[in-house]
This record gives sequence, structure tokens and C-alpha cells, in this order.
Amino acid sequence: MTREFWKKTENIFVSTCLVFSALGFVFINMLVGPPKMLFGKPLTTITPTSFPSIILGALTILCIADLYFSNRHKPDENEVIGLVGLQRGGVFFGIMAAYGLLMVPIGFTVSSTIALAVLSWFVGNRSFVQIVLVSALAPVLLYLAATRLLAVSLPELNAIELALSKLLGG
Amino acid sequence: MFEMFLDGFAMALRIDTFLVMIAGLFFGMLVGALPGFTTLMAMAILLPISFFLEPIVGIPFLLGIYKGGIFGGSIPAILVSMPGTGAAVATSRDGYALTKKGKSRKALDIALFSSVFGDTASDIFTILMIFPIALLVMQFGPPEIFAVLLMSLIIIAATSGSNLIKTVIMMLLGLWLATVGTDPVGGVERFTFGLFDLRSGIPLLPMLIGVFAIPEVAKVVMENNMARKLANVLGERLTFAEFRRCFKTICRSTAIGTGIGTIPGLGQVVAAMMGYSAAKNASPTPEKFGTGELEGVAAAEAANNAVNGPTMVPLLTLGIPGDNVTAILLGAFVAQGLRPGPQLFEEQGTVVFAILVAMVFANLLFLVIGYLSIPIFSRIVSIKVSILIPLVIMFAFAGTYVFRSDSIDLLMLVAFGIFGIIAKSARFDVMPMVMGFILGPPMEYAFAQTVAMANNDYIGFFMGERWGAMLVLILSPLVGFYLWRRLRQPV
Repeated sequence: MTREFWKKTENIFVSTCLVFSALGFVFINMLVGPPKMLFGKPLTTITPTSFPSIILGALTILCIADLYFSNRHKPDENEVIGLVGLQRGGVFFGIMAAYGLLMVPIGFTVSSTIALAVLSWFVGNRSFVQIVLVSALAPVLLYLAATRLLAVSLPELNAIELALSKLLGG
Repeated sequence: MFEMFLDGFAMALRIDTFLVMIAGLFFGMLVGALPGFTTLMAMAILLPISFFLEPIVGIPFLLGIYKGGIFGGSIPAILVSMPGTGAAVATSRDGYALTKKGKSRKALDIALFSSVFGDTASDIFTILMIFPIALLVMQFGPPEIFAVLLMSLIIIAATSGSNLIKTVIMMLLGLWLATVGTDPVGGVERFTFGLFDLRSGIPLLPMLIGVFAIPEVAKVVMENNMARKLANVLGERLTFAEFRRCFKTICRSTAIGTGIGTIPGLGQVVAAMMGYSAAKNASPTPEKFGTGELEGVAAAEAANNAVNGPTMVPLLTLGIPGDNVTAILLGAFVAQGLRPGPQLFEEQGTVVFAILVAMVFANLLFLVIGYLSIPIFSRIVSIKVSILIPLVIMFAFAGTYVFRSDSIDLLMLVAFGIFGIIAKSARFDVMPMVMGFILGPPMEYAFAQTVAMANNDYIGFFMGERWGAMLVLILSPLVGFYLWRRLRQPV
């Protein structure tokens, strides 16, 4: 496998699928529970490993086929993600992961305000007024719409929920 | 059946249904008009809202977004040559050429009228055909269901992308992801790695939002493409004579779109391309297509909207989503307690007809709203992306959380978002994966039941009792191959 091979995102993706599918196929009995038995006979006509085995086997074969057939031409610029793009993607998903991890501990409103402000700045908004307005108002409005109009629950700190209830005369 | 239709018609005449459909249409047009933001994304993000509304209100809301979004995608396609949806690519060929000639208003008008005509005609076809098809499907047993599901996957594989191997890889990945959790046949844990959260399997909503919505946003962020072109609606409105000239084309494309809509896996993009190429082939002046021909816009728009109604046929009768949008609608139906399949008409026939009738009303509302709001939505193309992206992310996270009130879903959303953008970069389409994920469990269940029914005598079983299923199993690869070859031909 040459360096050109590993430059293509496609090859990395398929190789990863190949490794996971091959390992899954080989070790499937360790990853799937044993079939339920009654008086020494399986309760079902097909075992729990039947369908996944077919899928993982076919996936392994097709990944090998794709690696073979798709490497007949050289990569062009469109097939390679630039380093800047990767960095921006990494930061973007990092912000989202932090948002997901923080939403329950610190509540929807606070986590969304922080996430909106950071994301707005990151994607290029340099208007302080716009960032503050959007970050401060949007989470509150969405929280109220979701909890009051649709009667669904979003995670929130007790203090903020009590304050909003008092504000609305609840 | 007629009584059921009348009851459904009466049920659809609700002011809240109409108001919510109008809201959906507006939202769909808004999102569709934004290049980089797709109707699919809007539907995925707003899907959780529909869970908390009644079926006759929630599902028309999603349908309103769907219909508005398809036309909304035509607006940037025509005005700035940036199709808002995949189906609008064919529209942009002649639409943008018309804009360059100063006739953007005519292009937008013909796109709207063609869309409404195609959609309405196909919705009426759906209402007339769905019950006979449901009666036929009620005769299906597990072998037939397995055969039809396999046929759907084959057709999806044949039509989803230019590279068949890549498409099947994604489909198999989706089928495997569907096996994570508890085995539907024996109730045994599979691929949970000891994690309690995975015992109930991977939830559909974080996957839908993660692979459809997040990568679109991430792509805009990673490419740092925040610039917007300005768009102006110019020129005179469409005349009746011009519409009449396009009418034959609109009818042809409607028929093509309706036929394609009934087959799972094909969808709007295929319909738009086939409608466009059929119009070009039938035209006495095919060389004018691509240079600003109104019939080009009419053909693409009528075909891609005519798909909307008939895609409900395999969805409602068999529970098979025809494309990624109907996959989202399937999620809405299931959450509402309406389990698509032949029994749906026995148990909830009135509600089903009410939803179908609401679809027809949505088209009429769409005609009025669309005509009046074209100048407004043309301005939407210029809204700052740096405001929209954070709001979209917030909606995505909120919608994902309300589904199960489980924080693990938020992490799955991010994980599928990362997967989606990597797949996109590697030029793998995620739609086959989602189809495989949705169709995997019923397929495995039907397979197990078929094996039990055959009792080790497969030849006798299929040749004697279930020759219909065997016929479908034999014909499916042939149909798939034909479609694969047909769609490789250049337009």
C-alpha cells in the first residue's frame, strides 16, 4: 500500500470497514449471545448469528472488491480533504461533542447559549450584537416553545426553570 | 372503503391541520431556498415536534415541509444556479439560463405551477390506488414480504449512485447497524459490547439527523464557504399561453414521476432527470434545452413533485420507505402509533385517508402561498450563514434530546454526524445505509418466518405455494440491473 493509497479518504474509509467487518465475522460468536435453547434444541429456526454473519461476510468481500477496483485511477484534488478543512471540522465536532456532554449537567439554556456564541464566532460572525442577541434569545425561546407549547422536556437547571416559571406567572 | 374515504375527508377539514400545513410549507420553502440546507435536514430536525401533535396534524406538518422544500430548492437553482435540493439540479439547467435572460419570474412561476400540478395529480392517483394495493398486500405472507423487501434493497442499490459496490457496502453497513441490540427473532443481545444503552439498539432519530443534517452543515463550515450570491426576481410573469405550451410536457412528466414514485428507492432525483430527458427527447427543438427553455423547468419540476404522493404507497402498505424523506415519515408514523403495513387500513384507515386528503389540500395552499411569497423567498438566499448554522445545530440537539430524553442520543448524533461527513468525503451515499437500517429488522424477521414455514423443503415450498415470492426473487436482480444500466445513460 503506497502513500498515494492512504491519501484517499475513500481508501481509509473502506479499509476501516474491511477491518471491522472481517474481525466481526471471525469473532462473531464472542459478540453475539448464544441462542436460547429448550430441551437441547434452539427455540428459533435461525440462530442470532445467521443474519449478521451473512452481512459481515458480504461486507468483507465487497470492501476488498472496492479497494481493488477503485484504485485504478489517481486521486485528484477533490478527493482529498485539505488540512484546514480537517482542522475546522475537528473544532466544529469538538464544539458539538462538548455541547452534547454539557446539556444535561448544566441545562439546555446555558449550554445552548455557550454553544451558539462559540459556533457563531467560529463560523465567522464578528458582530457582537448579533452573537449576543442570537445566543441569549434563541435558547430561551426554543426552551419555552418546547416545554410550554409542545409539553416536552428539555434538561434545565432548577434555578432557571423556577425563574422562567415566575416570569410567566406560573 | 368509500365510507372510510369520506370519514377521512371530514377529518382532514380541521383548522389546526391547515394552519400547521401552512407553517410546514413556509418552513419547507425557507429551508429549501437556502443553499446548503436541505428539506431532508429540516424534516429530520423537526420530526420530534410531530410526535407531540396528533397524527392528522403532525404528519401533514412534515408533508408541508416536504412539499414546500422541493419547490424551495428550485428558487436558488433558478436564481443563482445553486440547487437547494438534489432534485433541483435538472431545474437549474434551464432555470438559471432563463434568469440570465432576465426571465427569472417566468421560470419561478412555471416551476411552481408544474410542481403543484404534478403533486396534485399524483396525490389523487395515490388516493385511488392505495386501497386496492393494500388489499393485495394483505394476501402477503412472510415469504412475499421478504421478497419485496429484498427487491426494494436491490432497486435502491441499483439507483442510488454511480458506484454499485459503494452503494451495497453502505447498505450492508446499515443492515449490520440494525442488528446491534436485541435480536428480533430470539431476543438475544448482539454487538452491544456489554453497554446497557445499546440493548435497545441504535435509535433512528439521532441517525437520521446525524447523517442527513449534520454533514451538510459541517461541509459548509469545513469549506468556510459563507459567501452568498445576491438574487433578484426579474421579468414578467408567466402567461397562460406559455403555460399551455408546457402543459403536455407537464402531463408527461407527471406520469413519469408518478410511476417512479411507486417503486421504492428511486425518488425525486431520478424522476427529475428522467422527466427532463423525456421532454428533451420529445421536443421538436431539443437543442434549446439547457439554453433557457421553459419546458425544461416544467418537465423537471412536475416529475420531481409527482413522486411525493405515490411514495406513500409502498410506505403505507408495506412499511417500505421509498427514499430518505419517507424514511423520516416512517419514523413519524411509528411514533404516532400508526404502524405502516396492510393492517394499517384495517385499524386506522380513516386516519390514513385523512392524511392523504390533507396532502391534496396542501398542494392548493402551496399554490397560493408559493405564488405570493416567491419575491420573499428569493431574498432568503442571501441570509447570513453564520446566524443559521448555530441555530440549526441547536434545533438538531434539542430535537434529538426530546425523542427519548437520553443524553446518549446526543453523543450518537455527533458520532453519526462525524460518520456522515467522512462518508460524504469518501463519496459514499448514506441513503442506502439508512434504508438498510430501516428494512433490516423486518427483513430478518420475515426471513426467519419463511425458513420456519418452508420446514427444510425450500424448492417445494417456493414452487408450490409461494411462487409469487419466488418470481419476485428471480426478477429483482433483473429489474435492478435494467435500472442500473438505464440510469447510467447520459441525459
